[in-house]
Amino acid sequence: MKISLSWLRDYLRTEKPVAEIARILTDAGLEVGSIESTGVAIPKVVAAQILESIQHPNADRLSVCKVDDGSGTPRQIVCGAKNYKVGDKVPLAQPGAVMPGDFKIKVGKLRGVESEGMMCSSKELGLGEGADGLLILPSETAIGTPLSELFPAEEVFEIEITPNRPDWLGHVGVAREAAAFGCGELITKDPELPVTKENASVAAIAAPDAASFYSIRRIDGVKIGPSPEWLRKRLESVGLRSINNIVDITNFVMFETAQPLHAFDAGKVDGALTVRFANEGEAFTALDGKEYKLTAHDLVIADAKGSQAIAGITGGVESGVSETTTSILLESALFEPTVIRRSSRALGISTDSSYRFERGVDAQGSLAASARAAALIVELAGGIPSAELVIAGSLPTPRVVALRGDRVRSLLGIDLDDDSIAILLTKLGLKKIASEADLGFQIPSWRNDLTREVDLIEEVARLHGINSITAKCAGIPAHSSDADKAYDFACGLRRRLSGGGFHEARSGTLTGSRDQEAFSTGGVIAVRNPMGEEHSTLRASLIPGLLEAVSRNLRHGTDSIRLFEIGKVYQQEQPEESIRLGLVMTGRTAPENWRGKEDGERSLDLYDLKGVIQLLGTRLEPITFRAKTHASLPLALEILIAGKPAGILGVLSPSATRELMVGGHQGQIVVAELDLHALQITNGIGFSKDPKQHSSLHKFPAVRRDLALLMDAATSYSVIEQAVLGAREELLSAVTPFDVFSDSEGVKVPLGKKSLAIALTFLHPERTLTTEEVNEAVTRIVARLREAAGAEVRG
Amino acid sequence: METQTPALSSQIDQLRIEALSAIAEASDALALKEARVRYLGKTGSVSLLSEGMRALSKEERPVMGKLLNDLRTAVTAALDEKETALTAQADEAALSVIDASLPGTAPEAGSLHPLTLLVDRAVQIFRRLGFAIADGPDMETEWHCFDALNTPADHPARNEQDTFYLSDGRLLRTHTSSIQIRTMVANPPPIRIIAPGAAYRRDEVDATHLAQFTQMEGLYVAPGVSLADLKGTIEFFFRELFGTGTEIRFRPHFFPFTEPSYEIDLRTEALGGKWMELAGCGMVDPAVFEEVNKKRGDNAYDPEKVSGFAFGFGLDRLAMNLTGVSDIRMLSENDLRFLSRFTP
Repeated sequence: MKISLSWLRDYLRTEKPVAEIARILTDAGLEVGSIESTGVAIPKVVAAQILESIQHPNADRLSVCKVDDGSGTPRQIVCGAKNYKVGDKVPLAQPGAVMPGDFKIKVGKLRGVESEGMMCSSKELGLGEGADGLLILPSETAIGTPLSELFPAEEVFEIEITPNRPDWLGHVGVAREAAAFGCGELITKDPELPVTKENASVAAIAAPDAASFYSIRRIDGVKIGPSPEWLRKRLESVGLRSINNIVDITNFVMFETAQPLHAFDAGKVDGALTVRFANEGEAFTALDGKEYKLTAHDLVIADAKGSQAIAGITGGVESGVSETTTSILLESALFEPTVIRRSSRALGISTDSSYRFERGVDAQGSLAASARAAALIVELAGGIPSAELVIAGSLPTPRVVALRGDRVRSLLGIDLDDDSIAILLTKLGLKKIASEADLGFQIPSWRNDLTREVDLIEEVARLHGINSITAKCAGIPAHSSDADKAYDFACGLRRRLSGGGFHEARSGTLTGSRDQEAFSTGGVIAVRNPMGEEHSTLRASLIPGLLEAVSRNLRHGTDSIRLFEIGKVYQQEQPEESIRLGLVMTGRTAPENWRGKEDGERSLDLYDLKGVIQLLGTRLEPITFRAKTHASLPLALEILIAGKPAGILGVLSPSATRELMVGGHQGQIVVAELDLHALQITNGIGFSKDPKQHSSLHKFPAVRRDLALLMDAATSYSVIEQAVLGAREELLSAVTPFDVFSDSEGVKVPLGKKSLAIALTFLHPERTLTTEEVNEAVTRIVARLREAAGAEVRG
Repeated sequence: METQTPALSSQIDQLRIEALSAIAEASDALALKEARVRYLGKTGSVSLLSEGMRALSKEERPVMGKLLNDLRTAVTAALDEKETALTAQADEAALSVIDASLPGTAPEAGSLHPLTLLVDRAVQIFRRLGFAIADGPDMETEWHCFDALNTPADHPARNEQDTFYLSDGRLLRTHTSSIQIRTMVANPPPIRIIAPGAAYRRDEVDATHLAQFTQMEGLYVAPGVSLADLKGTIEFFFRELFGTGTEIRFRPHFFPFTEPSYEIDLRTEALGGKWMELAGCGMVDPAVFEEVNKKRGDNAYDPEKVSGFAFGFGLDRLAMNLTGVSDIRMLSENDLRFLSRFTP
């Protein structure tokens, strides 16, 4: 909402500087977002006429002019502009003038020639960009006229008006608030109110729940024409376009009092104007020429022929004021905010009028606004208003709200006696009602938002000022919640992963549907009203977002990428929302350094990410894997936590990889995703459920035996492991593979075969093992390997 | 018998010269070890000489015994001294081949997202004040997001155009304030919670706007909670976050679910020394308590008995300011050149 300072000054007598007024309004809750200044407010800049212009003796690009600034003696000015001719009138900044940017004009020499001031362009005066060169003033301009008179300075505040304060949607309301907050004195101009009478043949209400009050004033003999300069400027300053004197006056009064008004062409209205709901399907052409199909929920003002206005929103083209109008019917009314809001939304029309009605207008003010507009119409468009205001319905009686002083003191944490509270509220126009027990206040008609005790407490807080409240910082501490535990677990995990070389990613919830369907397991959820297909679906997996990040980073030339994300995913099946950990890696195992291959530098692959995930398991609840077919991951493993499926690990298909890769990047892209809740539950077990689990550190030495095995190249490690563990050797505590190789030449290992070396660890908790018993166990394992896995010990 | 003594004594002298010279010449640990065995070993030269003692007279034995003992001590000392010297020499050689000017090597360092770091700082501060974390779904009902927060369907502050809807009529929460409602419906007072989480707004994405943003919500409800408590809590939080010199301004504002309501402006060097609008807060509106009571079917949140404050602020713009990025989209693009600046 734009508030013009000069308009505000019609209602507020204040000596305070502009910045101070803005600060006071902001402290009161009218946040001044910006102050726009127009015009010239610089003293010592006057209109001057150029008397002569000669070439500067020492500079090709400069001229030396003689100008008359009305001071009696021509001044000599050195000038660089070329767009003038002798006789032109231009702005002259005299010595002592301070231009924008704190540039002070002084008498001085320019290339050896004295200059007694500066002729100005519009840009130099802060009047906008304008044409290049000097601002050429109209030839009728009187020499010596200050520019501040030719271009009067005007400040316009851009204020954010909260929806609870429709009274601030007019300059009077803002002036009233400013005065209450000590910004000056309110200038009241109560217009003389006409006599009111009811006359159903002129105005009637057929929908009393939607309109409590309706008034019409007839004004005959008006002359439609342009508005005077001052009115046009006022409207322009708040962003309105001038239309004609009548429409401008209704708009002007609306921006002054916050009461929307409407003028009908009396000659085009047939019979009484009645407030009623529209007929279902009724067609209506609004003032802007657009046609609307109304419903029985839309409130209209209708005459004998049909709807002439959508109540509180817009007039109709049929009865609108035009050049031929000579008599008008001036409407001022009270409509139910929710009715106007629903209509405005349903029809998709939002006007300055509907904006105010849907927030609520000043009931008593509707009469004053009507009188103010009538007076202006008489003044600016001629015409004779009828002596009477025809009304229907009634204005509400003032509301009284009770207030307990103790409640004010306890809720605000202040020590303010009842009298002081009453003094504060009186500043806002509330009237104290005498009462024994409580304070009671009569609410002014423009404060529809004050209906409850707490509303008055807020006003006390606002006027007393939060700066006067002594801060306290104490409270009953809360026990940590499940959400705290989940937060801490996630944070710990984030730190572990970042310590392990992963960077944390954060991607948005809303993504494209195509990407999501590839990785969703429980059905994707779409947004009904998305901002484009790329943001139409709630992510069902973290993997697509991570792959997008991989692609983006590859394009930027980063080719070693380790990213993780902990975030929510959404699906149709239960649980609808859950938190997952997503991981992706590609590129080198370590940053390139001078050790080269010695440091184990190689390309990251499936095993690297599998290892990271295994580390997330605990000793008592290790993470396990099993083969899985997955539409988008040709090599995939299901992640099992506590034996239950909890996620996926896999390698992106070569074709999908090529799509993401740029610049010939080599290697696998490995992705994984797992449920954080499942992980959190098992991580809880690791600590202290069973203290015995921690007391059994082995006292006796373990024995290690290595076996080099030869087997079919197609035999998987899991078969070997199963064979070893399947022997159920009591002394065997671990089996670990430590070397795998095959030879494509068939030299070291025959073709079609591979070599696998495993280490077997034997242990007894209560004694040292004998060589014999270990040998016997190894023999049994070797036999088992031969039978169950076709693996032979290499010679 | 008499001839024995000088012979043995000259043998001792000779052996001493030979041993000390051999030790001096030993150039490495192995040579030294050999010398030790040769002279002091079970069958070493010194031991062999000691055998000769048996042939000596009772009078000569102590004299020769002392000479032999002196020899053993001298050889042992020379061996030990030489060993120390050789070890020191080897140690020095072992480190001197290292070119310490080569750069260090380390595994790649990871990072935490700046929003995570910011959220965590905020969480840790509120935990010091005894707040616990609460959460709630992103896919929310209209009742939790609007109606229960004193924003009925026809309220001017309720703008469905800015809201993402799902096909079942639910929506993506427009603020984390819905978590206030969820927490109060599920638990009786006192409540002292913070809730970091995502919120959504149907906005065109540009350099300063995202359709999804990160918020931190807070709520304290107990008997006798006042505006003074709100002021103190907010001031403590922001001064803890940005330093004790931080200026904080409470500007009266309007939110349907709090009364009185304020917007919070901040000025601190950490944010460029300019006033910045950062948060909203206020005292919980009694209408919100009434709605919660209706849902709970009791009067646990009797506005006559309990009162409370709530606050909420966005973290994205703050993160933008603290990290010095000019485009807010940087926070969700996961560019490693940006992310790797933030070590945990």
